[in-house]
Amino acid sequence: MNEFVERQMKLTWRPLKKSYDVVIVGAGGHGLATAYYLAARHGMSNVAVFERGYIGGGNSGRNTTIIRANYGIPAAVRFYQRSVDLYRGLEEETDRWLMHQAKGLLWMAHSEAAVRAEQMRAKLNTEFGAETEFVEPRQVQELCPQLDMSGGGRWPVLGASYHPQGATARHDRVVWALAEGAMERGAHVHQNTPVEGLVLDGERVAGVRTAAGDVAAGAVVSAVGGHVSRIAAMAGLRLPIRTHRLQAFVTNHYQQQFGPIVASSELFFYASQTARGEMLLGAEIDPQPSFSYRSSHDFVQDVCRRALCLLPFMSNLRVLRQWTGVCDMSPDYSPIMGQTGVDGFYLTTGWGTWGFKAIPAGGEQMAELIATGEVPELIAPFGLDRFARDRTMADRGSAGTH
Amino acid sequence: MATILVDGQGVEARAGDSLLVALVRGGLHPTGGGCLCTGGDCPNCLVTADGVAYTRSCQVPARDGMVVQRDHLGGEEPALLPDEPGSPLRRIAPHAGEDAGAPSVQRSASRVLVKKAAPVQHVHCDTVVIGQGDSGREAAREARDGGLGVVTLDAREGQHVTGVYPGPLVVASDQAGCVLHVHPRREIVVATGAAEIQPVVPGSDLDGLVTARAAAELVAAGIDLGRAVAVGERPAELPEGTLAGHFPVGEGGWELVRFEGDGRVEAVIVRRHGDAGATDERIECDTAVLGLGRNPRNALARMASDLPVRVVGSAAMEPELPACPREGTVCPCSGVTVADLDGVWERGFHEMELLKRATLAGTGTCQGGVCLPYLRSFLLERGGRLQPAFTARPLNRQLTVRELAAGAHTAVTARSPLHDEHLSLGARMDRAGGWWRPWTYGRNDDEYRSVRERVSLGDVSSLGKMAISGPDAEAFLERIVPTKVATIRPGRCRYVLMLDERGYLLDDGMLCREADQGVGDRFFLTSTSGGSGFFELWLRDWAEAFGYDVRILNQTASLAAINVTGPQASRLLARAGARELPGFGRHRQVRIAGVDCRVVRLSFTGELSYELHHPAADACKLWRRLLAAGAGFNVQPHGLETLLRLRLEKGHIVIGQDTDYDSTPRRLAHEWAVNLDKGDFVGRQAILRTNKRPLDKRLVALRVEDPPVRQAADPSAEGAAIHDGERYAGYVTSDAGTAAGGTPMLGWLYLDAEGHLPREVTVDGRPARRVDGPTYDPDGERARVTVETGSESPENIGQFPVVRPEATDLAGEGPSGPLRLRRLEATRVSATPKALDALVEQPPWPAGALAFRTAPDELLVTATADLEVAGDPHAIVERETAFSYVWLDEATAERFLDRECEWRRPDARPALAQGEVAGIPAKLWFEAGRTLVLAPAPFAAAFQRRLTGSLAKPDKATP
Repeated sequence: MNEFVERQMKLTWRPLKKSYDVVIVGAGGHGLATAYYLAARHGMSNVAVFERGYIGGGNSGRNTTIIRANYGIPAAVRFYQRSVDLYRGLEEETDRWLMHQAKGLLWMAHSEAAVRAEQMRAKLNTEFGAETEFVEPRQVQELCPQLDMSGGGRWPVLGASYHPQGATARHDRVVWALAEGAMERGAHVHQNTPVEGLVLDGERVAGVRTAAGDVAAGAVVSAVGGHVSRIAAMAGLRLPIRTHRLQAFVTNHYQQQFGPIVASSELFFYASQTARGEMLLGAEIDPQPSFSYRSSHDFVQDVCRRALCLLPFMSNLRVLRQWTGVCDMSPDYSPIMGQTGVDGFYLTTGWGTWGFKAIPAGGEQMAELIATGEVPELIAPFGLDRFARDRTMADRGSAGTH
Repeated sequence: MATILVDGQGVEARAGDSLLVALVRGGLHPTGGGCLCTGGDCPNCLVTADGVAYTRSCQVPARDGMVVQRDHLGGEEPALLPDEPGSPLRRIAPHAGEDAGAPSVQRSASRVLVKKAAPVQHVHCDTVVIGQGDSGREAAREARDGGLGVVTLDAREGQHVTGVYPGPLVVASDQAGCVLHVHPRREIVVATGAAEIQPVVPGSDLDGLVTARAAAELVAAGIDLGRAVAVGERPAELPEGTLAGHFPVGEGGWELVRFEGDGRVEAVIVRRHGDAGATDERIECDTAVLGLGRNPRNALARMASDLPVRVVGSAAMEPELPACPREGTVCPCSGVTVADLDGVWERGFHEMELLKRATLAGTGTCQGGVCLPYLRSFLLERGGRLQPAFTARPLNRQLTVRELAAGAHTAVTARSPLHDEHLSLGARMDRAGGWWRPWTYGRNDDEYRSVRERVSLGDVSSLGKMAISGPDAEAFLERIVPTKVATIRPGRCRYVLMLDERGYLLDDGMLCREADQGVGDRFFLTSTSGGSGFFELWLRDWAEAFGYDVRILNQTASLAAINVTGPQASRLLARAGARELPGFGRHRQVRIAGVDCRVVRLSFTGELSYELHHPAADACKLWRRLLAAGAGFNVQPHGLETLLRLRLEKGHIVIGQDTDYDSTPRRLAHEWAVNLDKGDFVGRQAILRTNKRPLDKRLVALRVEDPPVRQAADPSAEGAAIHDGERYAGYVTSDAGTAAGGTPMLGWLYLDAEGHLPREVTVDGRPARRVDGPTYDPDGERARVTVETGSESPENIGQFPVVRPEATDLAGEGPSGPLRLRRLEATRVSATPKALDALVEQPPWPAGALAFRTAPDELLVTATADLEVAGDPHAIVERETAFSYVWLDEATAERFLDRECEWRRPDARPALAQGEVAGIPAKLWFEAGRTLVLAPAPFAAAFQRRLTGSLAKPDKATP
């Protein structure tokens, strides 16, 4: 037995019905959160979530579990701060241990230009509710004693923006708690049931097609990650989405406590310690679009090299496992949520490298939209039509890494 | 005989002992208990060896003086800094709590902590065979017989494969502490054999349990197993007489129930299912030898399913499925029991991956080596469905972070040719836009005043610079920039934007049309420093897409540039020998201080400015002579920090700081730089479309009425919110900070509900007013001032001999002397492929020169010949000093390139090859016995460091 064996959640699988009020495609964090909030906040439980594999098997189970709100534009900061707040209350709300832990996030600056960028980030974030302050090297060292402040002699730490609410939570448990919460309120989750097509009623999407037959739906929500372009094409939509690989890896257990989440946009990596004591590292997306889940050696090689500049203590840790997810990148590095112009068809996509941290807010807002028919103010700027309207949500703050 | 230190006690090891064998010989179980396999398949022999936690003791040879902890977590932090007082944390960060700025302390920390990166060895072959058992040896022999180049990797030789990757690339450790990157052209043969299935019953964590293979290895090493009984298959490899009994569990109604003992096994309990029911039997023993079936070691093949992989021998066997476990530990890495599996199964976790995630079984060092067969049999029994193994991922064998970083370099930052000049003037260099720039010379106020009141020098060598010629040059540029190009007359220049297809600003620069019509229609286009990497790709891509007949030569590194700016700029230049200087908006070739310069007169600082573009090799001479000539004007250089303040007073934008991914010219208030009436250009359609939408925000200049007294730690208002009454109305993108007093800021300002841009706003709660146009010299009279050139007597001209470039006689040089990179004097040509074909047929350059065809339309000649390209009147021929070179002898080249060049080098001699070497784009010229290495001059210092550093790493045995 280890302390992390799951002994709280109970998943209840129910047989497929012929018709639901709402069908959600994709049982990752966003799909399940939408189902959960539909049931928990709006009393809508005649809902089914379809999953081609197992729950949380896509990016929800492949991310680096970081929760933060220090983004680059007001609308994004507000939205992610809502998610940070929901995450903080999620253990209490679901009565489940999600291993949520506020650790604080340090974003390092190694040049004057980066110092200015981090100072700017701190100001903008604080203005919109995501507490962030610029901290001097001495404070950085206090927050993370393991840092080599000289950056291996080449990448000195000149300061950092510090986001105390930066947190991590166990990604699988978040998925399971939302699945359980939706299931116990009556929602259905169907694993190993790929959606093969959409049922169209004239211009309107009226259900989904599966190997087990057509299933009617009052509304269909795509919460697919990685392959959203295919689902959207079934509804006749072409999305401004490119899919890229994003990789990560963990080391064996590190004996000491490594407190915060440490990121560097000039050295392009970030690191944190998991509850099991492993060091977890990630970096930027692969530059070329791809649907491949294959990991590459140059990723581990380069990130190890860069990480050693700041965290030389890692030198003797062994890299245990590496893996890959695929990210749906929007042209403005912001998510796409809401109505689509196709009646009965909703989208939550463009989650790029920032999907996990948005799970509760994304689900909450999508549920409100579906239940009320009104676009909530928080996600109104993130509609699909923004590209045609020249109102893109260009966000340099999210174009970083995680 | 070797002595290893185990938990402070000496243990003798014999020659050939693995660390595990030595421990067992010394009566020690590495982890206290658990079945030993000696095959690297389980976590039961993990130790910390020489400070490296999670080391499989069965895979490491015992070495004299080895320090071992029987605590695979590593226990206390390895004593990296043994002399440092205080806590373990203090030991990793000796400068914590002290003055973090003290460089001597920091240097000592990094010297001790950052061990030298492990060396990498790149090996190219036809076939790589992983595993050298019978089937592996056979596969290697077959391939060699077929005439193929074969590389074999064998764990017993210390070659542990971490993964098989696209490329294909096989990464493995090597005994000598180096990392192998094997690049097979044809095939990867996986001959890794099979693992023995471990017992999962109560008591399986006792000492005294070994697999059949482990038993054979221990006996062969002369270790007495005591009273040994075999459980399961009879171990074929054990000598006669070793066994005291054999119980064939798994067949004939026999079942393994548990092991009993206190620390070490004392008895095996087996159950016999007969006609009369089940009877248990207790067999006393000192050692239980287990033959419970085999599971193929096929993880490497599974992680490489779409690569040319062939699995041979027992690695290709079907996995044997053990009986569903009843009780005991299934996953020793994560401590998962059968009860845990039952618990999560009951909770609805029925998929293999969910079972794994909900228990963490299979996520430890052995990556499912022990538990996977049992997870499958558990799920088969509970769910009636045999589920596939969970995904195989790298790393199959875990190397350390230091080892994995082998061969990688951090991003290299380019250096201006004036880098050392800045340092000697006391500049603090900083990374900006991919270049080291002088951020400040430590006297910002004086730097500022020297521009505004006297004259100053600024290094702008990092600007992107492109020469463009050809019959379609004008038409091509009309498509690239939104400015009318046809009206730029020869000798004139203009500020231009570059837009993407969405109409958003990508970059800006200046476009000059050559004055000399003799060279045909030719242009010179600059970009920002940060954009220069993308710039050439952008131009070439569109030239190809539109099919324009143009020549493009990237001169970013070839030309240095010095901005001479300030009211006395023309006087300084005259004193440095400039006879005629261009008027505002013009450019011309001028010899200044003995150096041929293209002098461009526009202004970013707001003062009279001349940008001097000249060959990089002459930069230091020119810089020093300008400083000398300007001594009478008290000339000072200015850094980037001052430049950012100067431009802010003029309201000039900085790409990337004031612009975002949605910055249209209209939002940036740069409509004046867009001519929608000319023909089509990239971004025009998008602008026509977006112009129909109401404007939402605009980049504006703001002046804070009452400049706040700011904290030293918060010198800038960048990022501060702008409010229009209660309404959030935008944020500040640029602010020059405290020192700049009333300098306006730039910021994004959102229009109000009525579509008006507010005039009075607040920034950080302080009243601010939107201002139109620049606050400094609003009419631009200072930048546009008419000057008479030649009025200053060129008193120092005698000191400025004309710089005459010397050709580099590469043929006469050889790989002798110190390995120092030197600047290459060369000529670069961009011309049609046909014209270059003809040119190289009858080369007009001296016989000793080398000519490298670096692209179909590009030629690099190591001579400064004034070449005529007969076949192409539009050819661009330029002096090229942007490369540094070094000759390496054959052995040195091989040693260096085996480590620092991932790709396969040509076999032919002579041959030119181009690609990344030591993380830097390089050109390699291979001759018999010697190799010429060319690296871009901005990276020469880094290349030099990497070259010497790489060769200093210890040698290793080749595979």
